Amino acid sequence: MTDPDPDMAAAELALGVLEGEDRADALRRVLADPAFAREVDRWRDHFAVLFDHWPDAAAPPRVERRVMTGIAPDRVAGRFWPAVAITASAMAAVLTGVLILRPSPAMSPPFAAAGSAITLVASLAPTRGGAAIPAIYDAGRQEIQIGAAALAEPGRAEELWIIPADGVPRSLGLLSASSRTTVQLTPAHRALIDAKVKLALSSEPAGGSPTGRPTGAILASGQFIPI
Amino acid sequence: MGTSGDHSLSGREGARLALTEALVATGDEDRMAFQRVYRMTSAKLFGICIRICGDAQAAEDVLHEVYLTIWKRAGSFQPGRASPISWLATIARNRAIDWRRANGARATSSLDLADDIPDGSPAADEALIAGEADRRLHLCLDSLEAEQRSAIRTAFFNGVTYRELAEQSAVPLGTMKSWVRRGLARLKRCLDDD
Repeated sequence: MTDPDPDMAAAELALGVLEGEDRADALRRVLADPAFAREVDRWRDHFAVLFDHWPDAAAPPRVERRVMTGIAPDRVAGRFWPAVAITASAMAAVLTGVLILRPSPAMSPPFAAAGSAITLVASLAPTRGGAAIPAIYDAGRQEIQIGAAALAEPGRAEELWIIPADGVPRSLGLLSASSRTTVQLTPAHRALIDAKVKLALSSEPAGGSPTGRPTGAILASGQFIPI
Repeated sequence: MGTSGDHSLSGREGARLALTEALVATGDEDRMAFQRVYRMTSAKLFGICIRICGDAQAAEDVLHEVYLTIWKRAGSFQPGRASPISWLATIARNRAIDWRRANGARATSSLDLADDIPDGSPAADEALIAGEADRRLHLCLDSLEAEQRSAIRTAFFNGVTYRELAEQSAVPLGTMKSWVRRGLARLKRCLDDD
């Protein structure tokens, strides 16, 4: 290890030059270290001024029509689970990647333990707006880690759900209100995890959903994407 | 001043204000405001998508997803913290990079250095991004070695990884990492230097 190069991982992540394990390492640091996350933010702001120089290109008019017809209708659907009817567009939220993966101040230092292999990340967007909640899937340790959300009203609990392709939510348990939660996955749950699985937090009575399905409001939702 | 529908606003601040207002209204699910956001920004964001994706159809699809994301996430835009166009452009760039990573790099022939993008001051009609930070970044970029500056600019404008940068410049991966890291470190010192 005689790498004399300075540690510029925050800038490298903002610039987008990292891939594979290097990128995963940097994302772990974003989750675990608020100062590092702020540094990534600063770099993104620095680079953002370059957008002014980006050559414009007129988009074909059909894109505007597609976009305008693509919004809204599902917002008023009477289904219980509309907020989780996430299209691939939600992936962009994660993609915004660094933008959104903000550590909660309560997050403890990292988890770069032996056997760790983070393969999926998600960013759960709160239904009512506000900072997104980061989640990672560690295939090596067979667990999901999710940042503290603190979105539920006092006296209510936050329950984490995965929604695989069949659309049926499975509970992964309750979240800690004040710190990162680590969920050790059962083999049955592990078998459901892939790059398309959706995640949601619902508001439930203290102790969790009495029915095994979400009963309260959806507080946040997102989708895993591979890193 | 400046109702959100006022397209006659001219100048940097006016454009920025109009876009900020439209984006905030979009956060309240105002479809007309969202359409204004689209019309004010789609050329910029499509320019980003098409350059990074390198494919017109893919760029259209990515642009579509970008605006659906903007519609959903506008409520979390914080006007005080971020420039609206930077916030939008970052979403577009990251989404385009995501597509690029998922679909493999473009043909080598289109992997040019970003030298075709002028690195001087912004054009007068490009009024959406504030000036002081811009001048500073350019001054600091100008202070870098040529290969450091070129690599960093190419990474930004083409959305490429270290590996692709190294291939384009025909240098070993370690050399490219070293150029960029040293360039970034120098950039940081310059930017932090008050």
